[in-house]
Amino acid sequence: MPASGGVRTHRMALLLAGDGGPPAVVAAVDPGQLLAVAVDAVAFGLFLALLGVGITLVFGLGDVLNLAVGTFAVAGVLVAVALVDLGVGVAPAAVGGVLAVAALGVAVDRTLLSLVYRSEGQERVLLGIFVTLGLAIAVDGLLVKPFPGSYTLPVEFGVVRVGPAPLAAASLATIAIASVVLLGLVLFLRHTYLGRAARTVFQDETGAVLVGVEPRRVRSLVFVLSAAVAGIAGLAYAAGATVGVASGFEFTTFAVIVSVVGGVRSVPGAAAAGLLLGVVVQFASFLVGTFVAEMLLFVVAVAALLARPEVLG
Amino acid sequence: MSSYRRVGVATGALAAVPLLVTGSSSFERTLAGLVVFALLATALNVAFGATDQLFLFTGALAGVGAYTASLSAAALGVSAWLTLPLAALVAGATAGLVSWVAARREFTAVLVAILTLNLQLALTELFVGASGLTGGSTGYPFEALGLAAAGDALGVSGTLVLYYLLVALLGLSLAGYVRLLDSRHGLAFAAIRADETAARAAGIDVVRYRTAAGALAGALVGVVGVGYIGLESYVAPSLFAFLRVDVLVLVVLVLGGLRSTLGPVVGAVVVVTLEELLRLLITGYDTVVFGALLIVVFLYFRQGIVPAAEAALARWRESGDAEEPA
Repeated sequence: MPASGGVRTHRMALLLAGDGGPPAVVAAVDPGQLLAVAVDAVAFGLFLALLGVGITLVFGLGDVLNLAVGTFAVAGVLVAVALVDLGVGVAPAAVGGVLAVAALGVAVDRTLLSLVYRSEGQERVLLGIFVTLGLAIAVDGLLVKPFPGSYTLPVEFGVVRVGPAPLAAASLATIAIASVVLLGLVLFLRHTYLGRAARTVFQDETGAVLVGVEPRRVRSLVFVLSAAVAGIAGLAYAAGATVGVASGFEFTTFAVIVSVVGGVRSVPGAAAAGLLLGVVVQFASFLVGTFVAEMLLFVVAVAALLARPEVLG
Repeated sequence: MSSYRRVGVATGALAAVPLLVTGSSSFERTLAGLVVFALLATALNVAFGATDQLFLFTGALAGVGAYTASLSAAALGVSAWLTLPLAALVAGATAGLVSWVAARREFTAVLVAILTLNLQLALTELFVGASGLTGGSTGYPFEALGLAAAGDALGVSGTLVLYYLLVALLGLSLAGYVRLLDSRHGLAFAAIRADETAARAAGIDVVRYRTAAGALAGALVGVVGVGYIGLESYVAPSLFAFLRVDVLVLVVLVLGGLRSTLGPVVGAVVVVTLEELLRLLITGYDTVVFGALLIVVFLYFRQGIVPAAEAALARWRESGDAEEPA
């Protein structure tokens, strides 16, 4: 079911900036519109934060840089769209999408990652990169036949007017969902037994074993959790924009950049970096165009890598 | 058989292959594409194989070479043959600069991979975004190598002319690779790979050797990029995409045999044959197979075909020797 609304990209801000793309004179932008852009920017930033956290959790625990995270996000959306086409309501379909991605996460963890965890150190990191890249390519190849177009969640969110500002309700929904998930993750890591066990493995694997935590089980749990988070991120994104199979790799690159900037082993760092980069990129694309905004993203990532390479060490 | 003789045999075999099926333009295109990927994998064999720098921006470097040669040829109104050295220079300098920075910061292979992947994406974005110069994602036609005219003069297709030029370049590159690894440089590369700290302590200038290897690989990729657009007859950013170039080059190199001279050639032959078979058997699922191939090769067959075959041959010879009375 291709979206009827024409080409909508992740640059939600541009939709609100009018049909003519970036405004020629910045001073002409009215404050209401700026507020609307700000809301979209925060929504995009929280989407990036979710993706970045998905990478960070897995890398921190098992040294596997999951290059399939964007594909997981897209797969969640496509399963939900397919369920809606079968007559399922949007909310249960979304839950079905997340569950499907979590199931995919279980399968990948039991098979591919078990093989990757056999190696150690730098070799494992390299192996993880190529195995998850191969997985992303293979899953994309499987998805592209049944889903050749661009898809969005079939919900009409419309526009909420706050004073003069026409706020996209879809963005507000994205913000709400992403905040709840991020907060839930933080609470999970801080206050539950499994969350604490995960943090123990993060900090000191040998120590974790000594106090009776099994790293492999924690890794499995967290990988499945990160897959579900990626699925939720994709669904939250697809509430206000279209997603195609090719978006998967794009999302993965965003996630890698976020985790590189935020520190690939720090969950709060990844969340903050996602939010910051999302806001900066959305405003940059609103004010000076999407091309400069995307270049900015890569430049920031390269600069972060050169400044502090030890975040990936 | 000496390494040089093997390179000669492989190059000669490639030169003889077009005689099997004459006059089929699609066969000639497939063969030329095979040599392009064998050449790119040879360059990666220098950067990744010899000095552990996992370049994930081969596609972008080929693009840098291709855009440099074609745009400067168009601007000066000359043949792209004259601007080919410029392509090698710019792509080589780009890769050399990246290697220099990465080596000075003591980047691991993984860090180089992530750094160059970001550069790959930034550069392809730049190719699309600088549409005033590059024609954006549509691109522009490219005929400035004069292949069709050369083909007419010789009575063959332009693609066949390009094929033999690429085979000649491959022969030279492989011979150069053998020579490089036999030299002082090859010894230094091996020492750095074995133990970087020890190599540094022994007085080996790690930064200089890594930079040299990166620049050399980049220059070769830049030249091959020009051959690549000669084959495609147009220049567009999608030609240089990560998923289109880098993934294939990696599979070719690792499947054929990382750090083996003929690995890139054997890998390219296997991968292209597989690609053609898939096209005949199941259309539309070739990416699924390549994704799976990437996984399987890295999990189970990191040794590669050429080293595995050499090991098998050595075992067979040993058992043969053992049977003979002393």
